[in-house]
Amino acid sequence: MMQHDAMTFKNVSAGYKQRKVLDNVSFTVKEGEFVSLIGPNGCGKSTLLKTAAALLKPLSGTVELFGQDVQHIKPALRASLLGVVPQKIESPMAFTVDQIVMNGRISSMGRWGNPSPVDHDLVERSMIYTDVLDLRERFFTELSGGEQQRVALAMVLAQDPKIIMLDESISHLDINHRQEVLQILMNLNREKQMTILLVSHDLTLSAGISDRFLLMEAGTLVKAGTPVEVLEPVVLSRVYNCDLHVQQDPYTGYLQVTGAIDSLRRRQKLNRSVHVIAGGGSGIELYRRLLIEGYEVTTGVLNRLDSDAEAARALNIPAVLEQPFSPVGSDVIAQALKMVDDADAVILSQVPFGSGNLVNLTLAEAALKSGKPVFLADGIATRDYTEGKAALAFSTRLMQSGANAWHSMSELMTHLQLPQNR
Amino acid sequence: MSMKRLKCSAVNADNSFTTQSRSRVALRMLLFFSALMALLALSMLLGPSGIGIPDMESPSGGAILSLRFSRLLMGMMTGAALSASGVVFQALLRNPLAEPYVLGVSGGAGLGATLTILAGTGVLASFSLPIVAFVSAVVTLMVVYGIASQGSSGQPSVYSLILSGVIVSSICSSIIMFLVSTASVEGMHNVIWWMLGSLQPVSAGQQLLSAALLFGALAGIWLLSPRLNALALGREMAHYQGLHADLVIVVGLLFATLLAAIAVSLSGMIGFVGLIVPHVMRAIFGPDHRKLVPLAALGGGVFLVVCDAVARTLLAPVEIPVGVVTALAGGPFFLIILQRRMKQAWIA
Repeated sequence: MMQHDAMTFKNVSAGYKQRKVLDNVSFTVKEGEFVSLIGPNGCGKSTLLKTAAALLKPLSGTVELFGQDVQHIKPALRASLLGVVPQKIESPMAFTVDQIVMNGRISSMGRWGNPSPVDHDLVERSMIYTDVLDLRERFFTELSGGEQQRVALAMVLAQDPKIIMLDESISHLDINHRQEVLQILMNLNREKQMTILLVSHDLTLSAGISDRFLLMEAGTLVKAGTPVEVLEPVVLSRVYNCDLHVQQDPYTGYLQVTGAIDSLRRRQKLNRSVHVIAGGGSGIELYRRLLIEGYEVTTGVLNRLDSDAEAARALNIPAVLEQPFSPVGSDVIAQALKMVDDADAVILSQVPFGSGNLVNLTLAEAALKSGKPVFLADGIATRDYTEGKAALAFSTRLMQSGANAWHSMSELMTHLQLPQNR
Repeated sequence: MSMKRLKCSAVNADNSFTTQSRSRVALRMLLFFSALMALLALSMLLGPSGIGIPDMESPSGGAILSLRFSRLLMGMMTGAALSASGVVFQALLRNPLAEPYVLGVSGGAGLGATLTILAGTGVLASFSLPIVAFVSAVVTLMVVYGIASQGSSGQPSVYSLILSGVIVSSICSSIIMFLVSTASVEGMHNVIWWMLGSLQPVSAGQQLLSAALLFGALAGIWLLSPRLNALALGREMAHYQGLHADLVIVVGLLFATLLAAIAVSLSGMIGFVGLIVPHVMRAIFGPDHRKLVPLAALGGGVFLVVCDAVARTLLAPVEIPVGVVTALAGGPFFLIILQRRMKQAWIA
């Protein structure tokens, strides 16, 4: 059988008044495919769905459903091609489940809204499919979240669409209903050749059922392909900005994606300590991540009242402190040098440098001299407010004597682990 | 196997429940209509001249009865318009507090009507009253919508709509007050009497025009009613289900505004009907707008007729403004309904 193109994005950019969310996205979903759309929060998955359903008009490019520009398809016809199950539906009034599901037939019913026998059949069948027939007389608002989600699916099924898009609709469900809904979707996909586009956060679950993955990052489509092709640990870790592992079960072929928490659980306390040179709030995220990963953290020299100093106090991180708004003095540097002595590595955050805290770089220098790894956040030139760009010159010298540059948090965490793994 | 049987019996139980609840609805409907008829008949018996059928032998008897009947017609029209308008606003804005007064629509219509009353005289004024009231109500709604849309991309939030509605409404009533304070004594008397709200019959011409507009708007809303059901799940969901969601919203708002303008131009400022009658009807008959729109129109009409009968009888020969009665009678009733049946009407 020839497979038609069910949905095609051609160089689509879309967004809201001042904010472009989708940037030049192109892809095709074939009829009968089961595709999972993945990507971190805020990467534009929901915007993509809204654009596909003509709720948002693209700023440029076109979206086609079965070869027709979706902007030019009549609403009633569009509803028979494409159904959308949103993250959550809310009914402000006390409609019964029956009445809610009947809404799925709204665009095909007559002017007076009298359902035909066909409408009744479709509604009943969708309710049987999603196992909500028992609930038909209940008030929608009284149902549990999972039941509401199945009713929403029944309503969209009653539209009898060729494509169904689900916007994280199954993430609220408990495990048995999630399996059940996925089973329903798979059946629709296999038996009725229904095309499914599922926005998902459960990569492992999606890997088991999807023909293809679309991976989005910051409004662009970074990768499209089979689960094995897309679920690559390096790419995933970069896109999700955290450490992710992918394992393939040798017998079933199933892919399993596990995150930082899982690897953390296996990892015991590291008994390694890291000294962080920070300031002006640049250290907060570093402290948090290092503590989560199991490092012992020290920090300094910071000025009192600095937001990093406050964060260090709150997180119980030992810190060497100087008076507020004062240049770092030699006695506190001496204390900080002791900390560096006890540390296994030194990390420089994206701290801006002025004449007052330039001396902190001597801490990194000392660490290098005693053979400890040093990691400098890149882009120091843009944060250098010293006279004659002294900090830039200093850091260039440090790089020449063996310091590493770091760019993203996940990259830094990977580098930090290396010496121990060997 | 046993599982399957269990499910079958559940379905059967369901079906019997359906028929049971259908007959219950039918019974409720029968009771409702009988009550309406009884109340209408009762209101024909009440008046400042006494309780009961007036003496038809005397020349004044027939006049009293026909006066009562024309007030009944005025009440039916005004109450139906206010109540149906409330139903539509509540559905489109998905908010239990939405009604013509809250959104400033009545205030705008009132301002237009005040200008007409002060400016015009004679037949022309009574004809132009509903038209001017409608135009100024639409303008007000657009202003409210415009203010509420500021800073949001696309659809304004319900909260900003209501907030700006309340503000615009109070600006309108300030302007009315200003106009009244600078008007001639006669004009002042006319406007204030009208503002208090009363079902004194207006000219036959205006009644006919209002009746025609009223039936047109009610029919339009009834045609929209299945779409109002879909819009209860929000604009986005209605769009996904194949509706011209924005078109339905705009047309619905225009019809609801027209209804509010008809009510204001007929009987002045009568509050509460557009808020409470839709809730009470929803509590009794459920939120399906195909039933709710006609039932709320009927219920609103009868409610106002009864309130008016009480208003003209209670302290006769002094007549209490009917708006006072709607608030005093409707408020507590509304609270009872709210506590007992809110679950079935509106879960906010």
